[in-house]
Order: sequence, then C-alpha cells, then structure tokens
Amino acid sequence: MWQVGDKVGPWAHTITREQLVRYAGASGDFNPIHYDDERAREFGLPGVIAHGMLNMGLAARYLKSAAPPGARFERYAVRFRSMVQPGQTVTISGEVKSVDYGSSGAQALIDVTVGVAGAEAAVTGQAVLSWPAGGEESPGT
Amino acid sequence: MLQVDAEWIGERAAPRATEIEKGAIRQFALALGESDPVYFDEEIARRAGYRSLPAPPTFPATLPSNPVPGLKLPRAGLIHGEQQFVYGAPICAGDVIRVSAWLENVKVRRGSRGIMSIVTIAREGVNQEDVMVFQARSVLIANEGEI
Repeated sequence: MWQVGDKVGPWAHTITREQLVRYAGASGDFNPIHYDDERAREFGLPGVIAHGMLNMGLAARYLKSAAPPGARFERYAVRFRSMVQPGQTVTISGEVKSVDYGSSGAQALIDVTVGVAGAEAAVTGQAVLSWPAGGEESPGT
Repeated sequence: MLQVDAEWIGERAAPRATEIEKGAIRQFALALGESDPVYFDEEIARRAGYRSLPAPPTFPATLPSNPVPGLKLPRAGLIHGEQQFVYGAPICAGDVIRVSAWLENVKVRRGSRGIMSIVTIAREGVNQEDVMVFQARSVLIANEGEI
C-alpha cells in the first residue's frame, strides 16, 4: 500500500519511431510532426517528436502498474515542458504526496515526472488514484 | 495563424457520439506497450468488475468531438501545453460516448519569442446512461510570430 513519501518507479523507457507510428494509428493523431522528419523540420523542430499524449499515456501505464490492487485514476493533469525524440530514453517516476483513507477505500495524490537525461523534464504533473479497501475488489461502475 | 474569436468562449460544439470498440481499446493499449490483460481479455476485465474491456486513462483524448464554434486550429505548428482529465464512470467497450467540446479561454501573450495565443479547450464525455465518464481540458499554444 502506498505511504506518503514513497517513490514510485523509476522506469526507463526508450521511445521508438515504431511506437510513434503505432500511437498515431491508435489515437488518430496524424499530425506529420510525429512521423515526417522533413515536415517536422519545416516547423522548426529537430525532427519528429513524440506525441505529448504518448508520454502522458506511458506515465499512466507505469504508474498504474505499481498501484494497489483495483486502483483507478480519479484525476490526471500534466504540463508538457520539453520534447522527446525517437531513440531517447525517458525516465518515468513518481512520489506519493498524500494518502487519504475513507470507509470504502483510499486515495493518493502522486507527483509524476517524465524525465529526459541532460534536459528539462518532458512532462510533470499529478495524478489522483483511488483503490477499494481490502485490495482486490470491484473497481466500481 | 490561429483564428479565434473570444466572443465564442463558452459556446459548445454539438455532441458527437462514438461507439467504443474492443479493437480500439486493444490497439491503444498496445501502442502504449501495455501488458495488463484487463485491456485485452474480456473475461479478465469482467472478473475485475468491468462490463467489458476498460479504456486506459488517456484514451478519452482519442474520442472525436465536433469542431469548436469560432475556432480554427492549424494542423501543425501547435504546441500542446497542458492536459487534464477528471474521471467519472469507467469507459468500457460497447459504451456509446457522447463528447461535447467548447472554448473555455483564450489569452494572447507577448513574450521574448513574439506573440503567442493560448487556447483552452474543454471537453466532456457522457455514456449511454447519461453518466459523466470524463472531463478534459487541453491548453494549446500557437506561436503567432515576431512582435
């Protein structure tokens, strides 16, 4: 169970060009800056960059993998601060800032960061996850 | 160049309904490299208390909405600055989600890099039982060039 001050992760994840293409297809976001180097450069970018929403989605995936059984997201908010290019490895990490216990379960506020070595964090934000008392019960409807 | 008229703040686009397909949830989960079987195996999803495969937390961003009245966004050259979600009932395969969108705010900033328009678009999804499933807010930044 999460306690205040617990570190979540870190996880290292290498963003590949294949993942950008898969994410474009799955999300329907076909902005060419995510798959066409030439078009990306026309917009002043160094080449194609990862979708901000891909980075946000990856952070959610890793965070949830470490959450108590039956946990679900209640809120999730991030700021996109710098870009990630294919081939770069990001470090996804979190810290538990608060935990509130109620009669039916608990919820925690987590600070989330997607970091890039030698650069400003690509994504920072906060997530609130809740989970039922006693572990593996229904996530509810 | 971003074309936006602050007079349209608050005006809602007509809701747009999308049926959530199992394949769409699986493809989205795969694209994120998910291995949690709850997103792939309906039996496991049911045992976890869902009606069918549940949608991953950032999936609502993929649900289309109708164009926001008064707002014309360029296809590229737009920076996604912030994204927020508040979650209601779970979204599961088989649901029909109606998404409405509206312009929540427009700001113009003059900074060292020129003029920037900062647009906040709010979206809300409700399911077939009229229960809120998500509320989202996206902050988009368009660089409008030199001062």
